[in-house]
Amino acid sequence: MTATVTTPGPRRARIISKKAVLPWLFLAPALLLALVFKFLPMGKGVWLSFFDVRPFLGDKWVGLDNYTRVLTDHRFQDAIGHTLLLGVGMSLGGIVVGSALALLLEGQARSLKIIRTAVFLPVVTATAVVGEMWRLMYYPTSDGLINSGLGLFGLGPVPYLDNPDTALWATMAMGIWMLAPYNMVIILAGLAGVDRSLYEAAAMDGVSLWQRLRHITLPAIRPALGIVLTLAAIRGLRVFTEVYVLTGGGPAGSTDVWMTRAYTLGFTRNDIGGASAASVVLLCVTLLLTVTVNYLRKRGDVK
Amino acid sequence: MRDRRRSLRLAATLTVSGLLLGTAGCGSGSGSARAGDPNTLEVWTRSDPESAKTYDRVFAAFTKKTGIKVDFQPVMNFDQQLQSRASVKDLPDVMINDTALMGSYQSQGLLKPITPASIAGHDEITAKSWASTVGLDGRHYGIPYSRQAMTLFVRKDWREKLGLPQPKTWQDTLALAKAFATRDPDGDGSKDTYGMVVPGSAQNGYVAWWGASYLWQGGVRILKKEGSGFRPAMDSAAAVRTVTWMKKNLFCGDKGVIQPSALTSVTANTTNFQDGNAGMYLTGPYNMSTFDEALGKGKYEVLPAPAGPAGNNDVLADGENIYFGARTGKAKQEQTLAAFLVSPEGQELAMTGDHQPVVRIPVNSTLDAAKVRHDPRWSVVQKAYETASVQFPNAPNFAPIKQDTADALNAIFTYCGSDVRSGLKELNDTLAGDLKDQDLLK
Repeated sequence: MTATVTTPGPRRARIISKKAVLPWLFLAPALLLALVFKFLPMGKGVWLSFFDVRPFLGDKWVGLDNYTRVLTDHRFQDAIGHTLLLGVGMSLGGIVVGSALALLLEGQARSLKIIRTAVFLPVVTATAVVGEMWRLMYYPTSDGLINSGLGLFGLGPVPYLDNPDTALWATMAMGIWMLAPYNMVIILAGLAGVDRSLYEAAAMDGVSLWQRLRHITLPAIRPALGIVLTLAAIRGLRVFTEVYVLTGGGPAGSTDVWMTRAYTLGFTRNDIGGASAASVVLLCVTLLLTVTVNYLRKRGDVK
Repeated sequence: MRDRRRSLRLAATLTVSGLLLGTAGCGSGSGSARAGDPNTLEVWTRSDPESAKTYDRVFAAFTKKTGIKVDFQPVMNFDQQLQSRASVKDLPDVMINDTALMGSYQSQGLLKPITPASIAGHDEITAKSWASTVGLDGRHYGIPYSRQAMTLFVRKDWREKLGLPQPKTWQDTLALAKAFATRDPDGDGSKDTYGMVVPGSAQNGYVAWWGASYLWQGGVRILKKEGSGFRPAMDSAAAVRTVTWMKKNLFCGDKGVIQPSALTSVTANTTNFQDGNAGMYLTGPYNMSTFDEALGKGKYEVLPAPAGPAGNNDVLADGENIYFGARTGKAKQEQTLAAFLVSPEGQELAMTGDHQPVVRIPVNSTLDAAKVRHDPRWSVVQKAYETASVQFPNAPNFAPIKQDTADALNAIFTYCGSDVRSGLKELNDTLAGDLKDQDLLK
């Protein structure tokens, strides 16, 4: 009697566990790859950050020394400011320009498709190549493309990259140029999902362009903007190649960002422990930022 | 159900964070290409594809002569790759790389000590060259392979057109640079030429590498040896005077004395001399093959560096050493290879051929660079190396010292209004810290 009562329990449990296992089974190959190529090296990176790394003499445990050294180094402290400014500037600039591009280039016409492809090109071009190209464009004499343009108006030449006051802004402009088209695509996808009948209804009510953007388009692409913002923030903080290729952190360290500092520490000064510590700090900050953005987004969604 | 979602979210978060970690994870996962065969040596050189072709010839001749095979790996980002191989404790058997890195490698325990007498033909290498491979503990950690010293490349056609003499002092150089910038030496009617090319970026320490010759000529040393240690010397009166001169006349002087992008230039993207819009370049002799091709042999001349206020024309000497990786267990074969590489035959092969030479000034004293190459310009380089050159100190780990010097010089040259004395004082304190980290501060 008791047996008949209890049987449904285990059976249901078994079905659930099978159901629970199946997705993990499918995920296993990907997770295994991630484990070998991401999590283990990552774990090792965290582990190394507590050592003075000398593979052939034996690593020396130094506790939090690497962290104190990195966090008290004035060049790292300067780099925080540059990284934040560059990250925020590139993220916001990328979103504004990306949205503008998306609104301009939304549609089905063949010409628009061609333009969209052309605009998207910076995203698929290697950052190193883009960097060299912009270095040529920024060239501080009338031979440089931008300065020759300014020359037509009787201005310049401006030493964009060789002046510590403008170098960071010049780097930011290139970053926005690379980031905006990527954002454009995500926002375009968001725009495609906007209910056309709302536009028609709005047109009948005779609203202005601004009101239409503010009350129909913007709420509709909010999720897309959320994704774009998260990605941009992450990308902005770990910016490296753009700076490394364009200025190498100079002049006078005025464009040094967190990752270029970490790179110099690791590979010019052969201080792998310190570089690991710097990377772990960045990881923590990025994680925190991602979680916060996600939380705020979810809260906004519930509202 | 909620637990599962939570664990999924955790997995997702971990995946995202995994994507973020840049350099922290370096070192793992690099496969070893090393053959277990005791008769095969894995050899690394820091070479681009062009100079790798010269090494190919050298190693082919070696294998033919000795039967020892060479698994040759030309590596562009040498130190990055070396760090990852070091982290799995499996180094290449033989490495050929910059002299200035010896202290850094030795401090990490990457090198086997070397007894000069164990290398056949060791007596054909001068004592000066051997002395540059002695480590902090008095033992040798490298075998000299190639040496070079900086010389001044000048556009001869421009100089003669303007009727100016070859520069012999800093004042001559400055006057010539100003003339190149203002008197339209290329005759195209527009002011589009510069006096001098300067790789002035702090990236990889370039400005310290280029500026070292000026420091030597001003009577400055970055470090001074004291007993068993060193003392930083960048706050000396000579240093203040020299750096002030460079700042005032080159970086913050008249427009066009140096190329406008100097502060962010590294050698790879500083092509003004070969592009024909700059008149002088103090640099290494390996550029000759590039300049011959781009400008033509007759258009430029190779001169010893002009003398500075200290009355000497010392330039920076550097070069490449042969290093044996620690714990590789093929000592005999490694010594045989090293003996071949420094022999007259090995050196000559590396100095000639259709591709970029990998030995600049031979370390083998029985050879003469100008004679081997049938090119008298190389005797200028050899003479500069032998009589008027100073290397970076090889024993301490010089990498941080060079980088900090470069950071400071780049900053001083960038801000024209800044105070040189306080900038150098700050650098000196930083260098003291670097030495203290190595327990070398006296």
